[in-house]
Amino acid sequence: MTDHVRRLYLAAGALLAFFLAWAGIAAHPWTTTSAAPDAASARAVALYEQRLQRDAALLHSLSQQKLATPAPPVRIVTLPPLTTTRTS
Amino acid sequence: MLTRSFHAMGTEVEIFLDADGKAEPLLDEAESEFERIEALLSRFRPDSELSRLNRNGSVEAGPELLELVSLSLDARERTQGRFDPTVHDALVAAGYDRTFEDVERQQSGAPSQVACAGDVRVEAGSVLTLGRGTRIDLGGIAKGWTADRVLETLSQAGPALVNAGGDVACTGRSWQVGVETPARPITLELENGGLATTGRDRRRWFRGGVEAHHVIDPSTGAPAETGLLTATAVGSSGAEAEVLATSLFLAGGLTQAASEADARGVPALLVGDDGSTVMAGGLA
Repeated sequence: MTDHVRRLYLAAGALLAFFLAWAGIAAHPWTTTSAAPDAASARAVALYEQRLQRDAALLHSLSQQKLATPAPPVRIVTLPPLTTTRTS
Repeated sequence: MLTRSFHAMGTEVEIFLDADGKAEPLLDEAESEFERIEALLSRFRPDSELSRLNRNGSVEAGPELLELVSLSLDARERTQGRFDPTVHDALVAAGYDRTFEDVERQQSGAPSQVACAGDVRVEAGSVLTLGRGTRIDLGGIAKGWTADRVLETLSQAGPALVNAGGDVACTGRSWQVGVETPARPITLELENGGLATTGRDRRRWFRGGVEAHHVIDPSTGAPAETGLLTATAVGSSGAEAEVLATSLFLAGGLTQAASEADARGVPALLVGDDGSTVMAGGLA
């Protein structure tokens, strides 16, 4: 094998080693892969859900109020009153 | 007929429940609910949620305060500002700075005007925040709203009526409710909904020799001078009736209030300063 061919093999081997090292580092083998949510994030999600529910209830309440609700039927009678309305 | 009377929210509360004795615990529950809501929403209790809001300018509100403030803001919009929960400082300036039982009937000091229509924001779903110098009073709606709330529970046992110092909510059968007028008492009959009276014939005092009362006109920031003595209105609920009665009382006079009640189809009984009584909104 000539020196020229040996240098080519060495260069190819170095290139291969470089890419293998790169791939190994990029894979972050030192980090844990467990992605289970911890208690804090679960609480945050629950709080967010509650807030959404409250917002929805508030919107519903306001939209109900916006609807014109007709006054109930009422009439004047000569019967004695059971109770009395006055300035409260 | 089961009945219960008790003192709450600075007034007398009457409850009528058309049911047998087994429903008696519901009356206890109703009384407790009035006390609980008063503890949350009274501006005269330093530890109430409302007082904390007024003191700190912001609070993470519970569902009751949140709902009532939201309803009040909606009512302010619908009544073009006649009903306004931000009249707190105007009431205090007028002399209503403690429970009415303790308000001095003859006060020194000049009558004053305080700007209303304050900024109130609901943020992040439940955080109430007041603009600078804004404080809230819920006295114009809380009794009717609590009557509605209690009525909902009572109605599980039978027809019921709740009268919170004149703010009435009823359901389930025909109920006869009297309205005081200078000439004669008038009895109205309704099956469900609410009935309320706003006026300056009660809860009044003198400040600097001038008569003051508890109905603030938000456009002037002072006790209203409208030519009306009282306005009684019928609504779909006790809270709605309170809002309508206040709105008609501040309509600008007897004729204007009657026209508005007719136009909006709000059954109303209006009493002028001179004692004249007008029925409007289809009431006859």
